Amino acid sequence: MTHRRGLVSLWLVSLWLCMAAGAAASSEDLPLEEEAAIRAAVERVAPSVVRIETAGVSEASLVSPAEASPASGPSTGLVVEEGGWIIASAFAVPQDVSEAIVVLPAIAAETDPAAKSLPGKQPPGRRQVARVVGRDLARGLVLLRAEGAALAPVAAWVPRAELAVGQWTIAVGRVWDAAVPSVAVGILSATNRSWGRSVQTDASISPANYGGPLIDIEGRVIGILAPLPADTAGMNLGTELYDSGIGFAVPSDDILRVLPRLKNGETLSPGVIGIGYSSRDPFTGEARIATCRQGSPAAKAGLRAGDLIVAADGRPVTRIAELRHVLAPRYAGDSVSLTVERGNGVAVDKSNSEGKDQGKDETNGQAKSRVDVRVELVQALPPWRRPMLGIVPARSSARDERPGPVRVAWIWPGSPAAKAGIVAGDLIEAVTLPAADGDTSGSGGEEVVESAAALAGIVAGQEAGQTLGIVVTREAKRQTIPVESVAMAADLPADLSEQIPVFALPPVGGVVPAGDAATVERLEAAEVARPPLVVLPATPSREPLGVIIYLDLPRGPVAEAQAAEWKAAAARHGVAVILPGSTDPQRWGREDIAGIKRAIATLAAKRAIDPARIAVAGRGAGGAFAWLVAESLGPAARGVALIDATLPRQATVEPAEPGRSRWVLFGNAADDKAAAQLAPRIISDRRRLDEAGFATGTLPLDQAAGTPAAAIAAWVEALGLL
Amino acid sequence: MKRLDALRLHTVRLHKLRLLGAVAVIGFLVGPSVLPGGVSAGRVEAASPQETIAGAARKVVKIHGAGGVRGLEAYQTGILVSPTGHIVTVMSTVLDADELDCVLDDGRRYRATMVGVDPRRELAVLSIEGEELPAFTLSTSDPVPPGTRIFALSNLFGVAVGDERVSAQHGVVSALVPLEARRGSYEVPYRGGVYILDCTTNNPGSPGGAVVDWRGRLIGMLGKELRASGSGIWLNYALPAESLASGYAEIVSGTAAADDMPADGLSGPGFDPSVLGVVLVPDLLDRTPPFIETVAADSPAARAGLRPDDLVIAVGGRSVASRAAVQQALLAVIEGDAVTLSVVRGGAILDCDLGPRPAAGRKR
Repeated sequence: MTHRRGLVSLWLVSLWLCMAAGAAASSEDLPLEEEAAIRAAVERVAPSVVRIETAGVSEASLVSPAEASPASGPSTGLVVEEGGWIIASAFAVPQDVSEAIVVLPAIAAETDPAAKSLPGKQPPGRRQVARVVGRDLARGLVLLRAEGAALAPVAAWVPRAELAVGQWTIAVGRVWDAAVPSVAVGILSATNRSWGRSVQTDASISPANYGGPLIDIEGRVIGILAPLPADTAGMNLGTELYDSGIGFAVPSDDILRVLPRLKNGETLSPGVIGIGYSSRDPFTGEARIATCRQGSPAAKAGLRAGDLIVAADGRPVTRIAELRHVLAPRYAGDSVSLTVERGNGVAVDKSNSEGKDQGKDETNGQAKSRVDVRVELVQALPPWRRPMLGIVPARSSARDERPGPVRVAWIWPGSPAAKAGIVAGDLIEAVTLPAADGDTSGSGGEEVVESAAALAGIVAGQEAGQTLGIVVTREAKRQTIPVESVAMAADLPADLSEQIPVFALPPVGGVVPAGDAATVERLEAAEVARPPLVVLPATPSREPLGVIIYLDLPRGPVAEAQAAEWKAAAARHGVAVILPGSTDPQRWGREDIAGIKRAIATLAAKRAIDPARIAVAGRGAGGAFAWLVAESLGPAARGVALIDATLPRQATVEPAEPGRSRWVLFGNAADDKAAAQLAPRIISDRRRLDEAGFATGTLPLDQAAGTPAAAIAAWVEALGLL
Repeated sequence: MKRLDALRLHTVRLHKLRLLGAVAVIGFLVGPSVLPGGVSAGRVEAASPQETIAGAARKVVKIHGAGGVRGLEAYQTGILVSPTGHIVTVMSTVLDADELDCVLDDGRRYRATMVGVDPRRELAVLSIEGEELPAFTLSTSDPVPPGTRIFALSNLFGVAVGDERVSAQHGVVSALVPLEARRGSYEVPYRGGVYILDCTTNNPGSPGGAVVDWRGRLIGMLGKELRASGSGIWLNYALPAESLASGYAEIVSGTAAADDMPADGLSGPGFDPSVLGVVLVPDLLDRTPPFIETVAADSPAARAGLRPDDLVIAVGGRSVASRAAVQQALLAVIEGDAVTLSVVRGGAILDCDLGPRPAAGRKR
């Protein structure tokens, strides 16, 4: 009832306001007056609203039309300054397009002598080529220039500070008709969205009016409509919200501030700082630094792991989210001042924070100090390369055993750990970290190791070339062994399968399982029409299994005979081999990915699996598809093996990060003619992955031996490599 | 000038309007359910939104006919346009019924007979035997501009039963566009202008619904459900009152044209665009950019100055984003009309006139 009473009072308030306005409006009805105001507002901005078309005029299309990215349909642009300067959405003018076509509004055509000289029937608006001058990658906008066009710039902008949730907003586009703009009406839903980069409206926003203005009831421009997702850097990802009553606009202040830089031909990128936080939840976790990437702005400014960020540009920060609100709107090249609280029983290095100490907190006998730093954000961090020590921990599953030290299962041959003398059976208790940049106290402290995943996190958080102190217990004796990590680049030794311990066997004795020690089953699940085959080691063991998803050439369901090839390898290395069939016998498709995800979930419900040992492998067309499957699985897929295959042509390779890195193997028979044709692309793919910081290697391949089951199964065991 | 004056008038009170936006919208949405009936006591002249809707909804009927299988609804909406029981609605399979019923907002149920159809507008006129029924006056006045606030009244999803009034939605006219421009995108025979609505009216049962402005004047009729064949986006649109009026007049006078559209809805069979002499790059992608690969010697294209590597961006002033779209646009040119290709060459746009479209079937 309270709810209803609330509505009644709201209605009464609106009634009162209506009457108040009615008094001013004398006899005219408020809704009709609003309607007239909306139309007047649209007419005021209309001369500045143009249609944008891209007809595949990308550089790629000029070189090779067949490989051009498909240009999207018409969209809208807004004339922001005299001289033909137009802002449009990156959605309509994608990255590889250097020119767009602007359809001049009919209003401009009347005053434009060139429009009159056109032959035949007068088109609704004259077309002109506009050059892409600048791009704002952080907000998904492009600046175009249509030189010499008679275009009227926006007459008035609304400062962001004047915006209030609930005010009228009108979205204007020019796609349906070049003469009259299209209109969608709503209210302002929020003044701060997409981490400070946008305002939100409930007017219908779609690709048709992306790039068009969101105006107020006076016809002043609030912002430019753009598909801004809340959470990711990918600018087109917000488009799924089209026509949903959730629309975003980049506010006018932000546009006008960067306009001179865009006119100058700059490409503005989101600013990156290079900090990893201790907490995974930005809304509850404090902004404590877990890692500072080497060479990152954060590291250069003297920040280090363990620092707690308490203020950003003078605004107090108690949660990561608050910091993100300050950082996300900034571009590369922008600076931010941060205040950190440092010290937790660790001596403070005064030389590093010279004259900036704001005070000390001596409570609990711990020395804490506040340090101010100024950080200049960059476009991209120096590539992170996955470091490796050479330690392969024993298996562990997600629903884990009690926390405790991690047992070393085996040591990668010839690795730093092997040279340092770590051996199978050692129990890793803790890791002493190297000192942070500029820290002269000698040590970055000790981290207690409670699980294999935690150990992986510690190693990944460091850089190749640093020396970690591995604290191990061997025969009840505790010792610290220094190991210098190296960048991981790992070819698979041809006989790896023979070199490493057999699954679930005690270190001494035991019988190596034969081929019949594995069974072939179907991974039945509710509502799955064609469940994939799975090869499962029969050994009753509490040790969790590794998982390989193997994607052969697409030819419908997989024959049981093919599954049999995997039996011996699956049993020997404790790997479950999932063999999905393609829904379409000619090709792998998106629908198959959903089935694969279901299969993994079904398997995980049946048997314990080791989340650190999940890989996708594929041959030929199945290889390119394996990469797509791995991308869709995200960080869960720790390895990808491509046999006689390359990355898909459209594959984007995002730079690797700690916790988001893959070991990618390429297997290619050099003597085969088809393979020889693939070789140059494999080389370029490997280079791309290397540059992005991935670990890449070669999968030894004996073409005559068929599917390299043993090598792949051994590699899945090796995926635990740290 | 009138509008400019209006703008000046409004700037005085705009600060009020700005804040009113939310309150008025929320107030409107909850108002009718909380305070039924007119609430504008003390106001003068113009009807309140509630009164406007109540007045208009009386003139909208629920139509029940054939269907109910294979995802086809057995119901739609109709608009009373004469006190003696003439109803306009959308021509559809619902009307293919022996027993066609129209239910008024007071629950009165009438057996309807078919008066006639206009296949071009996909318009049908029904008749019920009644007297002094509430009805709209069909007018041939000028179309309303984008930004006009509207109510849409329809039997959407058939939720209104018996004496329940049809559902009301509100929104604005987004644009008035020729569907002709969307030909190919939308598979409809109608070639005139339609209102694009900023209002989610594309629902089962909505076709035939009334679109009225905030003064209660009929400005259009909701069209049948329509989805862009390329993008899959549903279109919210209405047939303008003007077209409705002419269609209605033609049907009742028996002069409505029979379906004279050619089978393909385009320029008729036999025309082969290759006679123009333009050869585009091979169609390898869904949206291959329409680059010209070769130009046949001594062809209309050659005489118009087209060259290989020109990128075609428009045919007859209408943009074409892909090779397939060029082909489609060329097929749509009517015999004897000028064929104009706009191409991009070296950063400039050139409009090339290939002369009148040749007759069908003529091969070089």
